[in-house]
Amino acid sequence: MAVTDLPEFIRADGPDKVTGSGRYTADMTLTGQLVAKFKYGGVSHGRITRLDVTAARAIPGVFAVLTAADVPDVRYSYGLADRTLFATDIIRFEGEIVAAVAAINADIAQQALDAIELDIEMLEPVVDLEAAIADGAPLVHENIDSYEVTGDTPHSGNVATHSSISMGDAEAAMTNAATVVTSRYLADASHATPIEPRAVIAQWEGDKVTVWTSTQVPFDARAGVCETLELPTSKVRIIAPHLGGGFGGKCGAHFEPHIAALARVAKRPVKLVFSRWEEFIAPDRRREAMIIDVTTGVDADGHIVARTGEILLDNGAYMADSSFFAQAAAMHVAGPYVIPNVHIDAKLIYTNHQPSGSVRAPTAPQGCWAVESHTDEIAKAIGMDALEFRRKNIVTSASTGCVGQTYDEIGLDQCLELATTSAGWGTELPEGEALGISVGWWPSFAAPAGAYAKLHGDGTVQVITGASECGTGSVMTLRMLAADEIGIDETAIELIYQDTGAAPAGPGSSGSQTLFNHGRAVEKASQMVADQLRELAAAQLEANAGDIVLENGAASVAGSPAISIPIVELAAASETGELLGSAAADAIEWPEITGSTCLGEQGFSSWLAPQFSCHVARVRVDADTGVTRVLEVHAVHDSGTILNPVAAHGQVEGGVMMGVGQALTEGTRYDERGHQLNAGLLEYKLQTIADAPTITTQFVEIFTNNAGPRGAKGLAEAPNVATCGAVNNAIANATGVRVRQLPMTAERVWTAMNNPEAST
Amino acid sequence: MTMTIANSLDDVLSGLANGARPIAGGTDLVVGSRQGKGALPDHLIAIDRVHELATIDVGDAGTRIGSGVTHATLMTNPTVVDSFTAIADAAALVGSPATRNVGTIGGNVMNGSPAMDTGAPLVVLNARAELRTLESTRLVHLDELWVGPGRTSAQKNELCTALVIPQQPESSGSAYVRLEYRRTMEIAIVGAAAAITLDDGIIRSAHVALTAVAPTILTVEGLAPLIGKPVDETTLATVAELASEQAAPISDLRASERYRRQMIGVMASRAVDAAARRAGGETLSVPVNRALGVGAQS
Repeated sequence: MAVTDLPEFIRADGPDKVTGSGRYTADMTLTGQLVAKFKYGGVSHGRITRLDVTAARAIPGVFAVLTAADVPDVRYSYGLADRTLFATDIIRFEGEIVAAVAAINADIAQQALDAIELDIEMLEPVVDLEAAIADGAPLVHENIDSYEVTGDTPHSGNVATHSSISMGDAEAAMTNAATVVTSRYLADASHATPIEPRAVIAQWEGDKVTVWTSTQVPFDARAGVCETLELPTSKVRIIAPHLGGGFGGKCGAHFEPHIAALARVAKRPVKLVFSRWEEFIAPDRRREAMIIDVTTGVDADGHIVARTGEILLDNGAYMADSSFFAQAAAMHVAGPYVIPNVHIDAKLIYTNHQPSGSVRAPTAPQGCWAVESHTDEIAKAIGMDALEFRRKNIVTSASTGCVGQTYDEIGLDQCLELATTSAGWGTELPEGEALGISVGWWPSFAAPAGAYAKLHGDGTVQVITGASECGTGSVMTLRMLAADEIGIDETAIELIYQDTGAAPAGPGSSGSQTLFNHGRAVEKASQMVADQLRELAAAQLEANAGDIVLENGAASVAGSPAISIPIVELAAASETGELLGSAAADAIEWPEITGSTCLGEQGFSSWLAPQFSCHVARVRVDADTGVTRVLEVHAVHDSGTILNPVAAHGQVEGGVMMGVGQALTEGTRYDERGHQLNAGLLEYKLQTIADAPTITTQFVEIFTNNAGPRGAKGLAEAPNVATCGAVNNAIANATGVRVRQLPMTAERVWTAMNNPEAST
Repeated sequence: MTMTIANSLDDVLSGLANGARPIAGGTDLVVGSRQGKGALPDHLIAIDRVHELATIDVGDAGTRIGSGVTHATLMTNPTVVDSFTAIADAAALVGSPATRNVGTIGGNVMNGSPAMDTGAPLVVLNARAELRTLESTRLVHLDELWVGPGRTSAQKNELCTALVIPQQPESSGSAYVRLEYRRTMEIAIVGAAAAITLDDGIIRSAHVALTAVAPTILTVEGLAPLIGKPVDETTLATVAELASEQAAPISDLRASERYRRQMIGVMASRAVDAAARRAGGETLSVPVNRALGVGAQS
């Protein structure tokens, strides 16, 4: 379906954003506001031998200078509580905050930073994943055993957590396999790179603080402020003005506590706006580098009989929200295939790099890229067409996957057929061009979420939700759900969101959960309003409430639409003049898995309402230079029911573009001491609109039980999973050589073509 | 700091005589200052409203392109596109539409970056910079103007008022090709310009200059063996070899020395091929990077 055929859908936040009248955090100014700046460690590994802020505090116009000594001594992070707001003794990455200042303007804030006396004894940095786990390697966290542990987080030395998934007897099955293929792949780290750099403003009134911040997850941000500053929930309010993108990078609490602490000491509002350089080096969210070794055995018919894998993931200096990364990566390297014998080990390794954390489908683009490249290598080794090999081995409805989960009705096989048909798999292409296939998967997540709905006496509705709109359009879809339940036009629905002071808690915009969880809560709260309308209408129409139909702004008895009562009259006639609904989303039971064992269980082995996809990329490789252009991507997704087609197409197109960037140009480069070399948009090359391929999107809509509202699964992350693998397979088909490092830059492609031994 | 908006060339030249620095589009000066490359000068004089700097005039001495002509104009102006196509190729690749709408050829030339896209085209077309003060006007060959990365031989009180390009002989064509990893917002990894004059399909003259492989734009020497030969695989291979040999590239984030050295040969031979095809009357759209088909939508 072409986008032009879709029903018109106007985003409530669209006109504000397009015309510039919308306000983002950085646009805000509060009376008396101060400027915040951070003093960073600047080295990737060092011991603080002297930190003196006396001179900085003495500068006129400086209102606050804070260090670890000025905030509660709290260690935080899920998995291992390995972090403090300010470096205490050891600096573990270049962007670690040593001190924070608030001053009357940016120049004086800078003077204060320069006046901070900081002496550092350099320590040997841990920057190589394999060296980090070798005997005698320097430790990123010397006192790891003293850290509080949450969840199943097996750790030792520089291994922050270790996950393995096992089913059957992979070793024995490998021995008996007809063909065994082994591959190694390396993925560089990359970034979420939202167009809006982070911004935070905090203001205290009495003992309560309000923080305006560019967060995807206001409730997590609140929890972070409360935990680190030891404040009760009722004293902290987080408001997110319009958000200029997040892509996972703005999950978690990051700098809200620092700014709240500064504002408390300064007794003035304090505002932080990151530069693009800070946006690259300081957040504890970047996409992790990986080393992936994978071996697969197939039988004489081309069925996969065994897979083993070793994955090393670069955790950087701290956990952030990465405790599930090892298990997630293991699942992606296993892949959406029927494999009776699996053993995959994944280790999340501390280094002195910027911490890794959620970026759109964490671990998936790299894991999928590796395993889908490997899949084509297997097909080639046994002389089978890449499409045919996948047809034989992918998971389908009622089949059992790599950890013993048996699927309900799923549409991966349809995704594979539709995407390859759309792309013209098998047709002759001009020289230098080729197609490549990749399949991908990603779970949905059930999480607690609540919602309020209010039908006013004038017939308009307010929906108050803990959801966040980071650009996906999913919050906008909440209006459609409420309108449909109450029987009024969606333009009569106002959303109140991104304010912890107004809404019930929820996961915000993370993990493709906005519609999945907040949608179920909004649907239920709206149903409560609708039920009251039916009662009121039933009394007037002398009918059963169950027979009342609410549509087009009126209530009528089913089958007798001629006699109706406008909903606005029913609302006005109610006792309180408005009708209220409040609800929480029901808990959803996770699917069972049988026959497998999972060490380091972090909730990523059994997949609720799993989403599937197939991307087929058409590339053209300039053989003389290695420059690769992605000309077309044919993306087909099973994300359950699609409720908001315009937003769904937007998600797929954005995910594909992000994937093309990761595939070709986006990679962080480090020097040997662990400093980022390309922390800016000139040298960290995002794709531009001019580079965009033609993206053809289709959805396989299968109603899914135990899913989001009306059978919808998540969708925001899934489109970012399969593109890199499709591009690599297309490059291999166009050139005859395999690129083994992500991103597959022009120089890497050229090197693989001209000097395969020199390419990694 | 002061900023004066000049309304006439005399305003500008007086300002420079008093120590002010000129600013046109500000795409290098302002961006560089924000990146910490250097503080903004104490006194700036804005020259973007001086209309006499923004004209393109064809005269007996050649074509005079005012220093205030923007990249957006260069890539579409019929005189530039028809007679000095390499300049249009280069201008069309600069930055983004916003950069091209404010960035000027004079600013580009006087900024003196070895990665400037318009530099190599100007060199192969034998352009000279017109430098003026209140008292004098002189024409300087570009290889004498550029003395190092970001450095020129111009005096502080001299303003580049124009680039003067001699009329090209019949059956001439030029082209600028660069290696780029994405199609906008890109900076040359390496680039090459060529100007070719043909005589019945045989090369009568050939000039090649290289971008981003030396401290300044590099003119390729030793092209004499090409004269009298047709443009074929052998001559193109010779060009590639000469360019690769003479380049002195560095390794940095954008590319290794080894890759750059190979790529400059590819770019130089493509530039010669495209210039020769244009000289032979073929129309290759601007920028020729797109016309060569890499990444073009099918």
